[in-house]
Amino acid sequence: MNATLAAVLAVLALTLVKATPLIYAALGGVLSERSGVVNIGLEGILIAGAFTSVVVSGATGNPVLGALAGVLAGMLVAAILAFVTTRLAVDQIVAGTGLNIAALAGAAFGLVLIYHQPGASHEVPALGHTGEIVLIVLAFAAALALHVVLTRTPWGLRVRACGEDPSAAEAAGIDALKTRFWAVVAGGAIASLGGVYLALAELDLYSDGMTAGRGFIALAAVIFGRWTPLGATGAALFFGFFAALQFSLQRAGVPSELLQALPYLAALVALAGFAGRVRAPASDGIPYVRS
Amino acid sequence: MFRTRAFRDIVVVLVLVFGVGSVAMLLAHVSPIDGFAALFDGAFGTKGEVAQTLVEMTSLLFPALGIAIAFRAGLFNIGAEGQLIMGGFAAGWLGAQFPLPGYFAIPMLLIAGALAGGLWGAIPGIMRARFGANEVIATLMLNVIAVLLTTYLVTGPLQQGGANGSETGPLAKAAQLPHLFGTQLTWAFVIAIVLAFVLRWVLMRTVFGYELRAAGDAPEAAKRAGIDLSRVALVAMTLSGAMAGIGGATIVSGVLHRFNTGLSPGYGFIAIAVAIVGNLDPLWIIVASLAFGVLQTGGIGMQTEAGVPREVVSLIIGLVIIALAGRRLIASRRST
Repeated sequence: MNATLAAVLAVLALTLVKATPLIYAALGGVLSERSGVVNIGLEGILIAGAFTSVVVSGATGNPVLGALAGVLAGMLVAAILAFVTTRLAVDQIVAGTGLNIAALAGAAFGLVLIYHQPGASHEVPALGHTGEIVLIVLAFAAALALHVVLTRTPWGLRVRACGEDPSAAEAAGIDALKTRFWAVVAGGAIASLGGVYLALAELDLYSDGMTAGRGFIALAAVIFGRWTPLGATGAALFFGFFAALQFSLQRAGVPSELLQALPYLAALVALAGFAGRVRAPASDGIPYVRS
Repeated sequence: MFRTRAFRDIVVVLVLVFGVGSVAMLLAHVSPIDGFAALFDGAFGTKGEVAQTLVEMTSLLFPALGIAIAFRAGLFNIGAEGQLIMGGFAAGWLGAQFPLPGYFAIPMLLIAGALAGGLWGAIPGIMRARFGANEVIATLMLNVIAVLLTTYLVTGPLQQGGANGSETGPLAKAAQLPHLFGTQLTWAFVIAIVLAFVLRWVLMRTVFGYELRAAGDAPEAAKRAGIDLSRVALVAMTLSGAMAGIGGATIVSGVLHRFNTGLSPGYGFIAIAVAIVGNLDPLWIIVASLAFGVLQTGGIGMQTEAGVPREVVSLIIGLVIIALAGRRLIASRRST
C-alpha cells in the first residue's frame, strides 16, 4: 500500500517536472496566436533560452543571471519572428521553420566556439531544488496571470481583437502591428522559461537536441487547450503525465516510442475531431498589411 | 524571366551566405578566404566530391519538388521530412524482406517509397479536405510520429536479420540503384531531374496543374469556377508526399543500401529553403538544389579542412528561409 502510494506520488511529481517546460512553451504560443501570429518557432525559443542560460550561468557562476539572460535571448529570438511577421508581413509558418533551424544550428555552433566540443556544454551552476520548485509554481502562476490578462485587461482585449480581426481593431484605434509585435515578444519571454527550466533546473547543461520537440508538443497543447491559457496548461499536464508514466509503462512492456508518439497523435485527433467545435482565432496565421 | 525581385532574392541569399559565413568563420578564428576555399574545395575538389555534391543535391531535389506542389496549391506541407522517412522505411523494409530480381526490385522500391510517402501526405490532405484541419500542425506532428513509428517498427515487430539498432536489414545488390561514372552518384540523380521537368509540364500544361495553381492563387475564384478545392488539396498533398517518399527510397536504394531512422539530416526542412529559393518553379528548384547541395557537401570540407563547425551551413540555411519567407508564396503569384 505504501509502496503503491509512493509510486503514485512519484509519477505525479514527475508529471509536474515533465509538464513545466511544456506549460511555459504553450503559454507563449497561446499569447502569440491570440494576437494572430502562429509561433512555429517555439522550439527555437526554447533552444535559445536553454543555451543562453547555460552559457551565462557558466560564465558568471550565477544561475539566476543565467536564467534572466535566457529569457532575454528568448525575447530576442521572438522579436526576430515578431519583426518579420508584422513589419515585413512575411509568411509566419515559413519564418518560424527557418527560426527553428537557425536556433538549433546557432546553439550547436556556439557549443563548439565556447566549449570547444560538439554535442554538449560543460556542467554549469544550476538553479537547484528551490529554483526548480519556484519555476514549477511560477508556471501555474503564469497560466493564471495570462488568463486574467487576456480576459480582463484592456491590453488582453486588444491582443484578442488583433487575432480575430486586425482591420477592425485598427479601425477602433488599435495599432495592430505593434500589439502583435509585443504579444509575440512577451510570448517569447514566457516560452523561454521552459528552456531555462530544462537546462538549469532539470539538468545543469545544454546539449544538442535537448529540447527534443517540446516546442511542437506545445503547439499541440495550444490546440488541445483551445487557444486558452488554462486549457493549454491542462493539455501540457496531460502530455506531461504520459511522459512521466513512460518509465512505469515501459517496465510493463509498452514500447516507449508509442508512448512518446501519444501527444502528437492526440493533437492529430484534436485537429480532426474537434474541428467545428474548436476554432483558432479568426486571423491566426494571416499577416496583417495596412491598406 | 529575370525579374528585379528574383535578383533581389539572389542578392539576399549571397549576402547571407558570404556575410554570415564570414562572421562565423572569424568567430572560429579562421580567415573567411581559407574557410570558403575549403568549402568550395570540399564540394568540387575531386571527382568524388563533385559526385557527393550531386548526391546531396538529389536528396534535396525530391522533397523540394514535393514541397513546391503543395505550396503552389496553397498548402503548407512542412511534413516532407516525415514523408521522406516513411518512403525510405517502406523501400528499405520491402527490399530487405523480399529479394527481387534487379529489373523489378528497384522500380518496386521506388513505388513503395512513393506510396508510403504519399500516404503520409494524404493523411493531412484528408484531414484538410474532410475536416478543414490545419495542415501545418498536422504535418509537423506527422514528422515526429514518422520517426517514432519507424523506430518502433524496425526495433520491434518488423525487425530484420542483419540489422543493428534502428535500421532494417541490408539490401541485396539487385535492389541497389546502379552508380554512374564509377562514383557515388546513382541513377536517382537522373530520375530527379526528369521528374522536375515532368512536374513543370504538369503544373503549366495540364488541366490538373491549372486547377492546382488556381486553388493556390485565388481559392475563392477557383471555387466559383467549379474547381473542387477539397479534391485538389487531397491530390496535391498526396503527390507532394509521394515525391518526398521517392526521395527517401532513393537514399535507401542508392546511398545507404538499407533504411536507418537517421537517414535524413533534415533534408525535408532544408528542402523548404530549396523550394522557396527556387521560387516554387521546378526548373529553378533544380538550380537551387545544386546550390544547397554545394553548401551541404562543402560544409564537411569546411569543417575538416579549415576547422569551421559545419553547423554554420545550417545556420545560414535557417536565415535564408527567414529572409525569403517574405515572398508572396501563396497569393497572386507571377504567371510563368
